[in-house]
Amino acid sequence: LRRVATRDETAFASLYKQTSAKLYGVVARIHNRSDVAADVLQETYVRIWDKAGEFDPARGSALGWMATIARNRALDEARRVRPASLEDQPESFEPAAEDIDPLAARERSEGLARLIECLMGLDEEKRAVVLLAYYRGLSREALAKRFGRPVPTIKTWLHRSLAQLRDCLAS
Amino acid sequence: MTVSPDDDFAAAEYALGTLGASERAALAARRLREADLDEAIRDWETRLAPLAEAAPEIEPPRDRLPAIEARIRGASLNAPEISSVVALERSIRRWRATAIAASLVAALLAVGFAARETSRPSNPREYVAILQKDAASPAFEVTVNLDKQELTVRPVAAQAPPGKAYELWLIDAKLGARSLGVIGDGPRGANLSAYDPSVVAGATYAVTVEPPGGSPTGQPSGAPVFVGKLIPVTP
Repeated sequence: LRRVATRDETAFASLYKQTSAKLYGVVARIHNRSDVAADVLQETYVRIWDKAGEFDPARGSALGWMATIARNRALDEARRVRPASLEDQPESFEPAAEDIDPLAARERSEGLARLIECLMGLDEEKRAVVLLAYYRGLSREALAKRFGRPVPTIKTWLHRSLAQLRDCLAS
Repeated sequence: MTVSPDDDFAAAEYALGTLGASERAALAARRLREADLDEAIRDWETRLAPLAEAAPEIEPPRDRLPAIEARIRGASLNAPEISSVVALERSIRRWRATAIAASLVAALLAVGFAARETSRPSNPREYVAILQKDAASPAFEVTVNLDKQELTVRPVAAQAPPGKAYELWLIDAKLGARSLGVIGDGPRGANLSAYDPSVVAGATYAVTVEPPGGSPTGQPSGAPVFVGKLIPVTP
């Protein structure tokens, strides 16, 4: 990524080869349509090229930084195409078995291990809300439908869960 | 960190991705102007980022690298090689300079008026905002007369992409995004009587790219491309 910041196209191509499946894994879970997901992936790498100089290793891993860019592009796009997006058909795209369980991840960076520790402090349903929001890009409304709860309840859950995570990570 | 608990929660939800279209667009516009909020969002993104490690890889349907390389080569031909941060700082400095210049000009005009027409009302409450892209020159000038509750938007240098239209939004922390109409080639007025003067004066004004005729959902379809805040033009 440091070499990409100096406009090194060879380094960029190698970065793409190493990370595109990972980032596509992030994007494609938010967008079930592969053409949309591939466009988002393309936008993501253009942005990574533009912003490589802004990456700050003190703020976390390079992959985490790139995944954040990918998620933000994917979320912007998801909110843009809302009328026909997954929010209206939350059941059509996700067999529950496919849900990602980071708690089962065998390889854990220090950051992930710490975050998992804190996620364990949430009760199961509230943890599921946070994880579905993160991996599927579900809005409060979509989460409310999926969990059969009113939107304000979901908002309160998120509020408490996120505050708890923040305090746990800071301790 | 100096953001309010409400803003910190909004930043957390932005990073997690649970905000709806209008709240997300409102926060995206505010973070361009509010460094503390931007920092709060980044902090939350950093906290949650390790989760991405646990997402299993999926091979992209076909190799997008050639298309991406074509894009970045095309971009570097006409873009100066400065990082976006530097460009943004410059753009903010330029915006401030423009804003200060605008208020100076307005102050001089006001003095001129006052000299000739001593009966002029003392507090006309006029405001101006220059809406800019992060690293480009001014694109729209928004002027607001709070007494008449009127807004005028003038394109300065912006032209909508082919087959698209620019739409102007008033973005308020509580109200979210409210459309002020589609912007054509010339100046356009909008009535603000539906909004409290404090909302009008404190809001962020943003322009998004929409289908012709404006957003079909009544909410911004994507992140704003031009944003700005009002400053008083009269002393």
